[in-house]
Amino acid sequence: MKEKPLPVPDRDSAPFWEGVRAGELRLQRCNGCGSYRWPARAICNHCHSFDTDWLAVSARGTVTSWVRTHQAFMRAFQDEIPYAVIQVQLDEQDDIQMIGRLADPGLEPTIGMRVRADFAPADGDPPLVVWHPIEQL
Amino acid sequence: MAFDLADRGAIAGVGYTEFSKNSGVSTLTLALRAIMAALDDAGLPPNRLDGIATHRVGDSIPSAVVAQAVGIRDLSYFVDQFGGGGSSHAVVGQAALAVASGVADYVVCYRAINARSEFRMGGTARPAVDSVETQYQAPYGYVAPPQQYAMVAQAYMHRYGITPRHLAAVAMTQRRHAEKNARALMRAPMSYDDYLASRMVADPFRLLDCCLETDGAVAILVCSPERARDLRQPPVLVRAAAWGGGQTLFSNRQPPPGTSSAAVMVPRLYKKAGLGPADVDVAMIYDCFTAAVLIQLEDYGFCAKGEGGDFVLSGATALGGSLPVNTHGGFLSEGYVHGWNHIAEAVQQLRGAAGDRQVPGAKIALSTGAPGYVGGVTSALLLRGT
Repeated sequence: MKEKPLPVPDRDSAPFWEGVRAGELRLQRCNGCGSYRWPARAICNHCHSFDTDWLAVSARGTVTSWVRTHQAFMRAFQDEIPYAVIQVQLDEQDDIQMIGRLADPGLEPTIGMRVRADFAPADGDPPLVVWHPIEQL
Repeated sequence: MAFDLADRGAIAGVGYTEFSKNSGVSTLTLALRAIMAALDDAGLPPNRLDGIATHRVGDSIPSAVVAQAVGIRDLSYFVDQFGGGGSSHAVVGQAALAVASGVADYVVCYRAINARSEFRMGGTARPAVDSVETQYQAPYGYVAPPQQYAMVAQAYMHRYGITPRHLAAVAMTQRRHAEKNARALMRAPMSYDDYLASRMVADPFRLLDCCLETDGAVAILVCSPERARDLRQPPVLVRAAAWGGGQTLFSNRQPPPGTSSAAVMVPRLYKKAGLGPADVDVAMIYDCFTAAVLIQLEDYGFCAKGEGGDFVLSGATALGGSLPVNTHGGFLSEGYVHGWNHIAEAVQQLRGAAGDRQVPGAKIALSTGAPGYVGGVTSALLLRGT
């Protein structure tokens, strides 16, 4: 397996990936209780409503953890080693955490780093979410 | 009225295959060897078996095939659960329920894997595990358990001031235990310099923070205590079994950094047992990675949150300490059969059959499954010697 795995949207997640293609970070928000949820799924795990909308969110968050990979778990990533993967907690709701990468692979992530989402073309379609540090004032 | 499982299921037999880097045989053969060893250990004729149970992640032969190969004619109970190490102890707990409720008389539970030579978790030889989260993670090159646990460990270490010396203490303590265990794959002494010199795998994990991908199988024979008393070995009773989980990235219920799904389940486990952490004489703590031991020592109540590193550095978890942990060397040094060699070692300790690594007078043992960071579920057993 030499080619990088591309996102494979399913019947639940298709609107998320459509959002990424449109340059927006879209999450489901429950029309029953107003809470966000992610990854995509039919029911709200707080109030159990099936009634939901997809909304574009601020696409800002905070790095809560990161890991630098030194071993080629997938051959497709061999040339990028060592590479850092980050976990980002979204500003909208602190229990929504996304796995991603910093847009600049040379940048050292730190826990607490403020970041904003960007949408980078991957090797194929659809593009991926990547993150830029937000300059602190 | 609530069904009380306490002491109504027993472990009557334990069987191992050799642990190796390349078994050279199928997972069916591994399963059969471990099962026959467990029956031999118990002194149970194979034609008495009427139940079989395992868990798999697409990496082993289905249990129904194993049951046919063993020649079970009227299979009363079968389980072929999807799941990794978080499911391990649940399979045995479920078997205890089955024998206690009369569904089956003798259930053999096992896990058989060629995890080194055929199906390395997150390795290059197989596609990513089928999960809802894969589509959001694999495109970033984030696919393997060492990465997923390293993500947890990084946040935990940052929050509580855990250092490489703390992680190394887990690996070094267990290596000293493995030196006393002929079954262990890694028995050469390990120094802190050895630890620091081992290559980085997924920062903050070095190679010596990671368990040994292993070919091997372990089988555990479960029956009622009454039936167990008629067999060869002193019965080891299932004092309590618990399984649970729910706190993952997916759930929208992210636990605080460094707190595992086990923390939610643990009060239930101790309550069912009528026991607490102070009653545990010896513990097998799921050590897929060093940091997982520290987090679980805290979540299972042996020390306060954030103090797992100092607890291990103090020598408490070494043989001779207040709570010997992973006396066989664990997954880091004995071998990694996804939780099952922990159950087997707990049984050996409670039989008083652990040889040079015996914890004197051990009566209560805890054994834990993977703490739920990858599959979202966990499980554990509290066992009692007789």
